[in-house]
Amino acid sequence: MSTVPSTCILETRSIGKRFDATIALQDVDFDLKSGEVHVLFGENGAGKSTLINLMAGTFGATKGELYFNGEQIHHSTPAVARHLGISAVFQEFSLVPQLTVAENIFLGREPARYGFIDGLKIDAGARRILKALDFSIDTTRIVGDLSRAEQQMVEIAKALLIEPRVLILDEPTASLTEAETEILFRNIARLKAAGVGIIYVSHRMPEIRALADRITVLRDGRKIATVDASRVSDDELVALMVGRQMDQLFPNVPCRPGRVRLSAHNLSIAQGDVRDASITLRAGEIVGVGGLVGCGKSEFVRALFGLEPLLAGDIIIDGQTIDNPTPADMLARKVCYFPADRNAEGLALPRNIIENSSVTAISTETLSRGPFLRKASERRMVDRIIEQLTIKPRQGGERVSSLSGGNRQKVMLARGLVRPTEIFLFDEPTVGIDVGAKLDVYKTIGNLVEAGHAVLLVSSDLTELLHLSHRMIVFKGGRIVGELEGARLNENEALSLFFADGPVLKAAAE
Amino acid sequence: MLELAARSRNIFKPGQGKTPALLVLMLVALFSVTQSNFLSTGNISNVAIQSSYLIIFALAQTYVMIVRGFDLSIGSTVSLISVASSMAMSHALGLGFSPAMAISSGVITGIAIGLVVGLINGVFVAVFRLNPFIVTLATMNICLGLASSISNGFQIFNLPDGLNATFYQGSILGIPVPVVAAFVLVGLIHVVLTQMKIGRSSYILGANPQAAFVAGIPVTSYLLLAYALCSALAACGAILLTARTGSGEPNLGGNLMLESIAAAVVGGASLRGGSGSAFTPVFGAVFITILSNGMNLSRIDGYIQQMILGAIIICTAFGEYKGRGS
Repeated sequence: MSTVPSTCILETRSIGKRFDATIALQDVDFDLKSGEVHVLFGENGAGKSTLINLMAGTFGATKGELYFNGEQIHHSTPAVARHLGISAVFQEFSLVPQLTVAENIFLGREPARYGFIDGLKIDAGARRILKALDFSIDTTRIVGDLSRAEQQMVEIAKALLIEPRVLILDEPTASLTEAETEILFRNIARLKAAGVGIIYVSHRMPEIRALADRITVLRDGRKIATVDASRVSDDELVALMVGRQMDQLFPNVPCRPGRVRLSAHNLSIAQGDVRDASITLRAGEIVGVGGLVGCGKSEFVRALFGLEPLLAGDIIIDGQTIDNPTPADMLARKVCYFPADRNAEGLALPRNIIENSSVTAISTETLSRGPFLRKASERRMVDRIIEQLTIKPRQGGERVSSLSGGNRQKVMLARGLVRPTEIFLFDEPTVGIDVGAKLDVYKTIGNLVEAGHAVLLVSSDLTELLHLSHRMIVFKGGRIVGELEGARLNENEALSLFFADGPVLKAAAE
Repeated sequence: MLELAARSRNIFKPGQGKTPALLVLMLVALFSVTQSNFLSTGNISNVAIQSSYLIIFALAQTYVMIVRGFDLSIGSTVSLISVASSMAMSHALGLGFSPAMAISSGVITGIAIGLVVGLINGVFVAVFRLNPFIVTLATMNICLGLASSISNGFQIFNLPDGLNATFYQGSILGIPVPVVAAFVLVGLIHVVLTQMKIGRSSYILGANPQAAFVAGIPVTSYLLLAYALCSALAACGAILLTARTGSGEPNLGGNLMLESIAAAVVGGASLRGGSGSAFTPVFGAVFITILSNGMNLSRIDGYIQQMILGAIIICTAFGEYKGRGS
């Protein structure tokens, strides 16, 4: 066991965390020096959140040890962590929407006089901290009325009210503008100079380049490497993250566009998240749909499947205009949508693999006769698909709630295979699944297109979009701001469309 | 053959009957030691007949619980049906119809009222998306008020002679009619749940209504049908109960709301929807009937029995919550 260097402020030794049957984190050694920015890098589900939550005391470790300044912490709780000076800003905010900015910043630490909260002191304190951080937010505003970016700044101010020794930031720039990001980075530099250790979770390359001293790469709950930021290239980092070279990850799908299967003309939806969007999707091609979080790309594809109320515009499938699309109609027209949030919108978790796979097809002749199910042919069909998609476990009777994210997504994919589906609408098909399952999903998408089917792929993973799409449509602020094809289908062109107005920090898409 | 074996094993999966079956055995053991006449032939047949009514009501409750609902109106629906079908029967007798015709008219009236109440519940829950708690609480009061007002609060006598003789004292192959009815209905619902599209869809939509909609399941229709089916089953139970008392009773449903929910929950249905089978209410109903029978034999005060029943519901709900949490 190595001795703890004098500058090492926070350390984990072979720390692990298990949630039921799922191992979220395994044998991770991590150390943070005071005055450094240590970036945690990895895909969704790699264990970044679990690791920072362990360090912030949100939950305890199943295994391993946690040290602060060389002293072991046995039972960490949020209160213990706060007492030690470990402050965390998570992606899910801890703000109370009904209270003011000032009240939120002092939440749980209100200065009191004679047992009453001292409102004036709170307001003055909140003003002081916001001014020190250079955030211009009125302290008397109600947090629920603030934009997400402003809430993010309040959250950061809250974490910095008492100067911490360790600051954990989980993708803090996800909702910030460039100017706000710059202010944040200035603050980070100031804290760093003051000797605060900063753990920074991000997968945006330019930010990592701008901030990181060291980078720890996690994959599938394990630490892959800790590297000096100055000695590693972007490609090397990505290769560490996904565990293989980029070109091995994506299948090469030939583009053989046929007739137009689906088109939308001037589509607008009621909430105003999508305005005047038009696309065409042909057989035998993959059309990517990209853009920043909240740009309307997901709402657009949901509207195509009848999941968002239409305000105006036409949806045309195989030449027929669909007036009020519903999922049942669209399935009957050989269209299938695979939702981004599988657990909320896709799966019946307490039910088994068979029932979840065949659900879109129980009214087809193959799976039912009149009101009765044909359970033997259902079983045969699902067994074949389990084999084809390599769903694990292979027992169709297994409850879906016991499956990993990747296998849950494969059960979703099965729904497109149990009935004659020719138009596939994927919404973030690889979010939260491991690399192996990603490969299987990409392969399945490739096979579908080669078989002459049409694929619309909505994704926030730009690498995925660039490698799989034959054409790519970019949304911004609910409108389509451009279409990229051929030589223009590259990262620079895509990012300049993502951030269509003004100069922009060249952050990768969320 | 193999599949059949696998299926019967399914019934004994944890939370799907094993625990309640164990509870039943424990109760039997307890009362057979403390009460000498508990295991007498007379008492056993008494418990079997009594259980069969509760099995039917718990079966109805289980079906709506599978679609993530519940039916508070079940007890007062039973009262309403008892009164209305009795009035229909005695009226038919008065018009000179034969007892068999009169009984048929009562049965038809009962089932029709059940379907109407169920459809009203279903329309508000499925079409207008109101909370089943509020909807069935409201229909509970409406049915209760109707039952009392059309009967002026009095029992209705002069029912056809054959009613009690057939539906209570009658037997098929030596098995009392109420017991046969309960098992036929359990078998029927078992087929509906496991072999039919409606059953499959009910499980999926109970487990995750939005997912069911995205998968193209006609959620509204199946939800509506679930409430209709629930009240239709309750109607069958109501007619059998009326046959037993031999009169139309405006407060026949008394404790049934609580007991049917208790039996369904003890049996293993989940308030979160998507789980439970046609067999789970059997265990729950037998458990509760034995409990109340044993407590009666032990001369435990009726009010204390109610407290015990309430405590059992909380305990099983807690057990289920812990079970899901782990």
